[in-house]
Amino acid sequence: MNALRRHRALTRIWASAPGWKGWFTSVNHTDLGRMFLTVAVFFFLVGGILAMLIRAQLATPRSAFMGPETYNQVFTMHGTIMMFLFAIPFFEGLAVYLLPKLLGTRDLAFPRLTAYGFWCYVFGGSMMIFALLAGIAPDSGWFMYPPLSSTIGAPGINSDFWLIGITFVEISAISAAVEITVTILRYRAPGMSLAKMPIFAWYALVTAVMILTGFPPLILGSILLELERAFGMPFFQVAQGGDALLWQHLFWMFGHPEVYIIFLPAAGAISTILPVMARTTLMGYGWVVAAAVSLAVLSFGLWVHHMFTTGIPHMGLAFFSAASTLVAVPTAVQIFAWIGTLWRGRPGLHLPMMWLLAFFATFVIGGLTGVMVAVVPFDWQAHDTYFIVAHLHYVLIGGFVFPMLAALYYWMPHFVGRKTYFKLGGVAFWLIVPGFHGTFLLLHWAGLLGMRRRIDSYGPGQGWEIINLIASVSGFVMAIGFALVLIDVIINAVTAIRGSRDPWRAGTLEWAMPTPPAAYNFASLPHVDSRDPLYADRELPVRLARGEGYLGDPARGRRETLTVDIATGAPRTIVVFPGNTALPVLMSAVTGLFFLGMLVKDYWLVPISALGVIGCALAWVWSLGRRAPEGPLDAGRGAVLPVASEVADPPGWWGSLFLLLADGTFLGSLLFGYAFLWTIAPNWPPPAYAEPGPAALALVLAGAALTAVGGRLGALAGVAAALAGTVAVGLAALAVLAQVPDPAAHAYDATVWVLVGYALLHQVVALIMMALVAARRWAGHSAVTRRGAARVARLWSDYAALVALLAAAAVGLPGVLA
Amino acid sequence: MSTILRLSLPLTLWLASFSAVYGLHGLLCSSRWTGPDGRWPLIAAALLALALQGALLALIATRRWPEPEPTLHRTSLILAVAAFVGTGWTLMPVAFVSHCL
Repeated sequence: MNALRRHRALTRIWASAPGWKGWFTSVNHTDLGRMFLTVAVFFFLVGGILAMLIRAQLATPRSAFMGPETYNQVFTMHGTIMMFLFAIPFFEGLAVYLLPKLLGTRDLAFPRLTAYGFWCYVFGGSMMIFALLAGIAPDSGWFMYPPLSSTIGAPGINSDFWLIGITFVEISAISAAVEITVTILRYRAPGMSLAKMPIFAWYALVTAVMILTGFPPLILGSILLELERAFGMPFFQVAQGGDALLWQHLFWMFGHPEVYIIFLPAAGAISTILPVMARTTLMGYGWVVAAAVSLAVLSFGLWVHHMFTTGIPHMGLAFFSAASTLVAVPTAVQIFAWIGTLWRGRPGLHLPMMWLLAFFATFVIGGLTGVMVAVVPFDWQAHDTYFIVAHLHYVLIGGFVFPMLAALYYWMPHFVGRKTYFKLGGVAFWLIVPGFHGTFLLLHWAGLLGMRRRIDSYGPGQGWEIINLIASVSGFVMAIGFALVLIDVIINAVTAIRGSRDPWRAGTLEWAMPTPPAAYNFASLPHVDSRDPLYADRELPVRLARGEGYLGDPARGRRETLTVDIATGAPRTIVVFPGNTALPVLMSAVTGLFFLGMLVKDYWLVPISALGVIGCALAWVWSLGRRAPEGPLDAGRGAVLPVASEVADPPGWWGSLFLLLADGTFLGSLLFGYAFLWTIAPNWPPPAYAEPGPAALALVLAGAALTAVGGRLGALAGVAAALAGTVAVGLAALAVLAQVPDPAAHAYDATVWVLVGYALLHQVVALIMMALVAARRWAGHSAVTRRGAARVARLWSDYAALVALLAAAAVGLPGVLA
Repeated sequence: MSTILRLSLPLTLWLASFSAVYGLHGLLCSSRWTGPDGRWPLIAAALLALALQGALLALIATRRWPEPEPTLHRTSLILAVAAFVGTGWTLMPVAFVSHCL
């Protein structure tokens, strides 16, 4: 088969449906990556317009441009959109588009999950935009501190839009994180060991794991605050045993890692682009990987530095001040590695390189002001002033937007397959960078002169007028620059002439394919022996197009790729991907109904849509795998490999493992919150602790054991055991809840209800999974094709059993100790 | 997974011990704490954390937990050293700062 025939055959197999139908049924990562990026840019424009409204309001003292109610919505939505609807989804879009190409594979691990996450993002984001247009947008700040965001401070539906809309959008982040993690660990080109992985993949892996462990505290906080607002469960009400500071802990356990979740992908792009621009390789690859991992983990130990002014004891302040200064070390390691790379190479001043230089200048300033606010006495002075606003914009725009502009111009020839000309982009650069510094450098001074954050207007004579006027004019200059970037991208995408395959002469695999990329990425999968495969073998793209790699023969007529061993990159299995389907968009729409029911308080819609989601999920899983085993298949280059659905650790098992990491973090956050209230909150102990008693504890023990054993039995006996386990745990739950019948009475009672609900939910999930495994047996699936699914069900049943035991211990312990 | 564990374990241990010492500090300074007062439990916890980090560093440095890939061996060693130093630096306040003020 020649290259052209192979291309046509593979395109028939992998392409999305033509026309508008393709938008809703595509599960292809290239299409979905582009869609993600386009929607994220749309939200960036909306957030940018809101920023301009803020600057228009603050340009002069006593401005009447907006009233305080409108201003509160505008600045809240600016922060919310930029953080949740632009920065994170832009990374997801870039990773969705790039990762399989960088890793030398044909798609992400779970193509339908990519589509589901995308549509959850679109629907959740639309919910927020609707609120903005309707004038009922959140108005309590993007951090939503209670009691400002409680029913006392925000009685309308505004805060509910934030709590429910953002939780909906976070499904997208968790989905993307699971599949980025599994893809990087298992879906690489054969031979690509961890040490030969492109540096962007390391950053993406670290970021994805951070999303899995950083987002659950916020999801928990949002659920608890919504439960308080909707049902009066007083988690944050001091009078009833709650504490508003609990929200700050949960929020910043997410919020500080979030800064690094935003920065690290940008650092990954820098580490990829900079060596190409400098015509060399990255200096200190191992050190850079270590710095990325260090930054990721250290960032989870910094959350209290956002709370230095809340009355925390000195030793607590010292812990987090020390940790905050520590984080400068790995950041500096990266900066020096990049400077060393530039020093070693011969940098060319192309537009991506200019954006990287802008990043250096800006981010270093942001990092240094970060060290200043890590020092407690300084933070006490600068906290809640425009100094902090200036600092965070230096970090986020300097550390994310500028590198992403470098990435945009670097990969644009790949996105559109055209030779780019950057004249307009150069003009935009000279508007954005000085405009940015004109806006935010001066705002440091405004903060030091005492200008508070979030104020909607200010009086004259405080020395802030000229600063704010210059900041506003500069802000508009920056906005014109961003508009030029958009026009530049559109012009390039539409009118530029066809470009060459590898315009930058880079070494990574995304340039080993024709651009714009075909739906299948690689006509055959490469065997990788080097960190920069194209530097090692310039003929590689031609040989891959000729079908000389793995899976070069499309004769089986289905979407296939390979999984590899995590460490060594040795090929392990052949994965068969699903085809185009509308199931993800349908399932995300039904998920949207679930959230909509909660938002508008039509609670009848919630269980119905929950059943709908379960139905969609079952239809989703049911179509996986074949009834009869296929046995080992030819994978090309002499490799004969089993199909992934017939081995003990299929991709779904890995996906479940990492989803459980997020789930476990959620439970850990809940237990932390419980312990926090127990030790710190005023108005404890509650009037009475629940005391489960020996009978209820015996029921929990028996229930957990039956659930765990059920996961090992399989088929009918397993389902019966899990059902009995669920009933036992359910009876114990009823006995406990009878002792605390009113979840609105005290924060303790409310926490017990949430713990019990969480345990029961996982019992039901495990039961459904085991029932599905049994149903597959009845439907004629062989023992071999059921093996992977059974192990997935066992993973969830073990977790459900563990949760039941932990919840019982957490509920019963305070009563025992008292 | 062994490689991933070797890379992630030292700093994860730092995060766990740092959070645990902070939690212990919260408990000891809580008005509900009725046990013995003082900073010694905090110092003991910090020393335990440091000892665990030292043991992990020794395990990784002496190749008792071998990593065949030299780049990743060096990276895991850097991370183990960073976690050891980080533990000492971030838990140092237990010895020098007033604990419940």
